[in-house]
Amino acid sequence: MPLKIRKRDEPWKWGALVVFLGALLFSLLVSALLLAGQGKDPIEGLYVLWQGSFGHLWALEGALLKAIPLFLCSLGVAVAFRMQIWNIGAEGQFALGAIGATWMALLFPDLPGIVLLPLMFVMAFLFGGLWAFIPAFLKLKLRVNEIISTLMLNYIAILLLDYLVFGVWKDPASFGFPMTPEFTAGAIIPSIGGSRVHWGLLFCVVVGVGLWAFMRFTRLGFELQASGEGPRVAKYAKIRYGMLVMLVMGLSGGFAGWAGCIETSAVLNRLQPSLMVGYGYTAIVVAWLARLEPLNIAFASFLLAALRVGVENMQLELQVPAAFGVIMEGIILMTVLAGQFFLIYKLERKRRS
Amino acid sequence: MSELKFVRPVRVRPLPEGTQPVVSLNGVTKRFGKIVANDSITLDVYPGRIKALLGENGAGKSTMMSMLAGRYRPDEGTIEVDGNPVKFSSSKDAITAGIGMVYQHFMLVDSMTVAENVLLGQEGSFFIKPKEMEKRVGELADAYGLEIDPAARISDLSMGERQLVEILKLLYRESRILIFDEPTAVLTPEETNKLFEALWRMTEQGKSIIFISHKLEEVIALADEIAILRRGKIEGELDPNAIESKADLASRMVGKEVLLEVDREPVEIGDPVLEINKLTGLGLTDIDFDVKKGEIVAVVGVAGNGQKALVEAVTGLCKPPIDTVFIMQKPWRKFFAESTWNRSMCYIPEDRLGLATLRNHNLVDNLLLTTRKGFSRGPWLNKKRAERDTIELIEKFDIRPGRIHALAWQLSGGNLQKAVLARELYREPRFIVAEQPTQGLDVSATEEVWNRLLQARDMAGVLLVTGDLNEALQLADRVAVMYRGQILGMLPTSDDATPGKIGPLMAGIID
Amino acid sequence: MWEFLIPLFAATVQSGTPILYATLGEMMTEKGGVLNLGVEGIMSISALAAFWVSLSTGSPWLGFLAGGSAGMIFASLHGFVCISCLGNQVVSGLALTILGVGLTHFLGVPYVGLPAPGFNPFDFPLLSQIPIIGDIFFKHDMLVYVSFIIPFLFWFFFKRTSLGMHVTATGEMPAAAAAAGLKPIALRYFAVVSGGFIIGLGGAYLSLAYTHLWTNGLSGGRGWIAVALVIFAFWRPGRAVVGAYLFGGVMAFQLRLQAMGTNLPSSLLLMLPYLLTILVLILSAWRGHRIDAPAALGTNIEPEG
Repeated sequence: MPLKIRKRDEPWKWGALVVFLGALLFSLLVSALLLAGQGKDPIEGLYVLWQGSFGHLWALEGALLKAIPLFLCSLGVAVAFRMQIWNIGAEGQFALGAIGATWMALLFPDLPGIVLLPLMFVMAFLFGGLWAFIPAFLKLKLRVNEIISTLMLNYIAILLLDYLVFGVWKDPASFGFPMTPEFTAGAIIPSIGGSRVHWGLLFCVVVGVGLWAFMRFTRLGFELQASGEGPRVAKYAKIRYGMLVMLVMGLSGGFAGWAGCIETSAVLNRLQPSLMVGYGYTAIVVAWLARLEPLNIAFASFLLAALRVGVENMQLELQVPAAFGVIMEGIILMTVLAGQFFLIYKLERKRRS
Repeated sequence: MSELKFVRPVRVRPLPEGTQPVVSLNGVTKRFGKIVANDSITLDVYPGRIKALLGENGAGKSTMMSMLAGRYRPDEGTIEVDGNPVKFSSSKDAITAGIGMVYQHFMLVDSMTVAENVLLGQEGSFFIKPKEMEKRVGELADAYGLEIDPAARISDLSMGERQLVEILKLLYRESRILIFDEPTAVLTPEETNKLFEALWRMTEQGKSIIFISHKLEEVIALADEIAILRRGKIEGELDPNAIESKADLASRMVGKEVLLEVDREPVEIGDPVLEINKLTGLGLTDIDFDVKKGEIVAVVGVAGNGQKALVEAVTGLCKPPIDTVFIMQKPWRKFFAESTWNRSMCYIPEDRLGLATLRNHNLVDNLLLTTRKGFSRGPWLNKKRAERDTIELIEKFDIRPGRIHALAWQLSGGNLQKAVLARELYREPRFIVAEQPTQGLDVSATEEVWNRLLQARDMAGVLLVTGDLNEALQLADRVAVMYRGQILGMLPTSDDATPGKIGPLMAGIID
Repeated sequence: MWEFLIPLFAATVQSGTPILYATLGEMMTEKGGVLNLGVEGIMSISALAAFWVSLSTGSPWLGFLAGGSAGMIFASLHGFVCISCLGNQVVSGLALTILGVGLTHFLGVPYVGLPAPGFNPFDFPLLSQIPIIGDIFFKHDMLVYVSFIIPFLFWFFFKRTSLGMHVTATGEMPAAAAAAGLKPIALRYFAVVSGGFIIGLGGAYLSLAYTHLWTNGLSGGRGWIAVALVIFAFWRPGRAVVGAYLFGGVMAFQLRLQAMGTNLPSSLLLMLPYLLTILVLILSAWRGHRIDAPAALGTNIEPEG
């Protein structure tokens, strides 16, 4: 091979953006080919995708709506990934948050929103956080691999949700469909003005800025970042690694829990299985694309939310299965991973000796 | 200081007229990024001879040998074997050409046996039988008089034994040229003697040896020819018989009259900062000594004889039995529960990049690593002030490159160690634990570190754990020799007999 | 009682077979030092590939091979990203699962509910006559019998062949392998690709033998269970068999309970395998006094000058 691999002296500055755009393009290309393979017109498909994502205000509102839960889940995933704790359980923590919020909504239907909504948020955070604490605890005390434990808890969480909506929480008026009764007004997050977007958006901004400030300006935030290098250095620096692991996972689960609470309250207005659309998994893609930084996560989550909305449009107009969006996410992530090689290394021609 | 430890056997080693070199390097250059590790190297190696490669750390010795061994490829220049130019695209090519290297960090698979490691890549067939492999390796070991059990797992072997396995690997491949990279770093003096004898036996069978070292005595005793490497270039080649003294050799190595010696002025001794009373446990037996403010106490010994456990107990990583360890006159538990970020204890570990620093973070973050409480007010961290202080420290300690946003992995060994030292001294410690503080550093960096440690005695007591006997004798007031978890002797450095006593104690010999 | 247990054990073997294939495939990959979390995705897409080829050609054996091949191709994507591009192994595996599962859904739409020629159980000559043992182990389809051989082949490969030793060395310390003149990169690719093949066979089993219809979600989390089982097995094939049949048993038991109509809500029953996986991990960590994981597992081989 006439090429040689060499480590860059300085990381490639614009590289991250180039890699990201390249991945996007590549993914579109492959997806277009897939469409063609299925006998659909790829150009039309991509056009419908574009229209659905950015075509008009209605699409943008849709993207924002989806970006909200995605943003929160991704924030949580990023916080954990920074410490090299592979929290794959955002999906399950999302579900538990929804369950926690629903519990409050069903228990206190007559409370005014001012009281009930914060209560729901608190419970959602606790439930989601708890669901993340379990694998954190297992990791610390019993060295159980968190990738598998968080993942198993995802499956268990979804089954738990099914159990509740098919059973004790089922709406008697729903004709056998698995869902809770509709939430009272006090349990629903109101919309902003006349738009479809709700106040969850503001919540996201607050949480995002709060997290950024936490990481940058507090000692604990510093310790968290330092721990990303591993438990050995943390121990050397007398950073309480175990405590940080629990904190990080608690936050991670809590954020995902908030996402679940918001979706249940503002979008579905009840708890039902269709709540689970895979935000927890897309969050991993978003977090990695954004290189685990809060500002980038905001952009990336909007982009991938727009992708989802666009794919919905494709489903509607061209009967393309929803899995199409999942495929695109997968390709984007793999391409980014491959492309990140060029951020640290470059290829050179071998000099003749 | 001490005389040469090794007796050179009287050997008649005339090189026959017109002997062709078995390996030649011609104008070989190697770069890593902007750094030129080897610059136009020209060197010849002759059959049946031992060539020592001498130079400070960072001079380029390992790089040069890695190219010979096929691990790296030269950017310019040629390598010739038996007069024919060769291009090694991998270690395998070099091995096929008869060149083999015993690395400083052994390339052995811990979970596999000696036989499996020796025969890795040389099995001879697709199907293998463990018993048959062990027999083959056993026979080879016997042929060269090497004592090793072919069925033993590497994880169960001592350092000296592991080195024997590395040698067996090369012998099995019928290497004609064997390269050794700092082989005696992990050996007791007795094992070193055995190694040298084995090397001489091998040269008698026509093998060539290249021996990288920075230990002047060994080089003078062992080599037939000495090549000196400085800053990537061959500074010159010498006949060991023509060397007048170690000083002479050392000055040629660094190009100035710098000897690895420092002036140690006595300092007022204060209260004890570390007291260990009859500590038995954690693999240690009956450890009993103290370190006072103003003192440096060195702990020496072959790696793996309990130094790690001692350091872990003293630095708070492992809990010692009750009432055995007292730091700054507080019992262990109490001390670590109450310890503050400054005016307390600090630990400079052996593992600079992996333990003492955040490799992917910049110098400011690395400063904050152990001093963060000093920059905090409540939960808030004052990064601006940290940045200012980092800039000051970089200037004071001459840390290069001089920008605060440089990442830890980008610093050279010497600069990284200076950074760690700067940070830990910033904490105004009263008790310093320094582990191998100058390992891998060149002479000038070593001198700087030594002077800082000596200066630190004004406010602290120092526990110095080191494998470098010279360092211990230069810096310390007392030297404790560890063997199998015990301190076999605590010797004052003021006593001239001490240097000679250390070797036997390190091997467990008490007279 | 035996009338209940023997069919249960027989179903255990059948149910555990795809898990066994997947576990051994992942184990091969990990022995080379690469963590492949894409098992679920690989099983999915291999199941579809096998189904499609069997449907198109009428030959279940071709389908079986196609499943393995699909596994190889997919795993090599992961291999490329991690080995050549030095991508993060954890995230790459996840991406592969996302991609694999999504692709399976997408491409499988036209085939939902359709049957394809598959493997059917038959009585193994002679051996099926043995009382009890014969009923449990030797009245299955061909692919189950194939799965009996694979753990042995696995053991033989690693203990009695030089290539196996090379793979082990690469997984433990790539630098040592390189110093010995081996090619760690090529060996890692070998481990990933051959591991992917075996995982793919497991996927093929699901669509060609376990059921003969195509449905969505055939893999049902088995890929993840396989990853956990590699840890449980301490990277040894014998224990992998134990683990695979343990899970096969739980899943078979669960199905039987549901069929018999119990008071336990189905959702809770379905949780059993996942709860068991966590339990298994806890037990493994507890008893693992020495971690048997390949020392270089999960790390990437940095290129040298």
